[in-house]
Amino acid sequence: MASSPKQSDSLSGGVDVLAGLLALVFPGAGHFIRRERLRGVYIALGVLGLFLTGLLLGGIDAVDSREDRLWFLGQAFVGPVAFAVDWTHQSQFKAYDPGDLADPPPTGLRPRSAYPGELRERTNTSAGDVWVWRPNAEAPTAEPPSRKGLAKVNELAALITTLAGMLNFIAIVDALLPGRVVGRG
Amino acid sequence: MHLLAWRPFLDPMDVQSIWFVLLIPTAFFLSMAYRGVRLHKLDRYWLAVLAMTIQIIAAIVGLGAAFYALIEWFLPVIVPMKPL
Repeated sequence: MASSPKQSDSLSGGVDVLAGLLALVFPGAGHFIRRERLRGVYIALGVLGLFLTGLLLGGIDAVDSREDRLWFLGQAFVGPVAFAVDWTHQSQFKAYDPGDLADPPPTGLRPRSAYPGELRERTNTSAGDVWVWRPNAEAPTAEPPSRKGLAKVNELAALITTLAGMLNFIAIVDALLPGRVVGRG
Repeated sequence: MHLLAWRPFLDPMDVQSIWFVLLIPTAFFLSMAYRGVRLHKLDRYWLAVLAMTIQIIAAIVGLGAAFYALIEWFLPVIVPMKPL
């Protein structure tokens, strides 16, 4: 049976591995390298605009590979940007109680209080070497490193950032398989 | 949370009471990325983005209205609550 023009057009492009990989590295880069520069810019603006909207809405807590792993599976398709945000969150901002982490904590993570004016520190006590909290005398009114999102704001931020990843997944597939189906889309 | 203490990209925005307004930027950026991939020619890109944005917002508003009608009007008619 002869294939329709639409089908043959969509299958004629082959596989562009380089474009697929570049699309995974940065949204829109796969199309940009294939000389579809305007399309690449539009995809980048759309995906990153969505991702940054979610991040602005929910704060850095919206991307959390340890606490919201399922959401992060979708967010990861935004590429290294999502991993960089997650790394920054885990190592620089996220508050951990001593019981939340292995002892000693993984590299880059340390118990950090979510409460203003409170510090965690390693102290030798009769029970051994343990993490205890003490008032932060140097900055008693200090802000917490970041605040957790709650309720609808947190849900929407997770949803929007994950949507960005899902959309970039479509762009990655489109960059990987360059044949374009003719139509209104 | 007070707006003055809000730190962009660190703290969540205080939009619990107007969360539904976020549908507009979400639909817009979603349409930008999707139309960027799917349109064969980009000469009418912004028109297509605008149309898809309106379609998404209208569909979500319609779904909301339909579920409101289902819960508030239709269900009480077909499954009336018995007084306690």
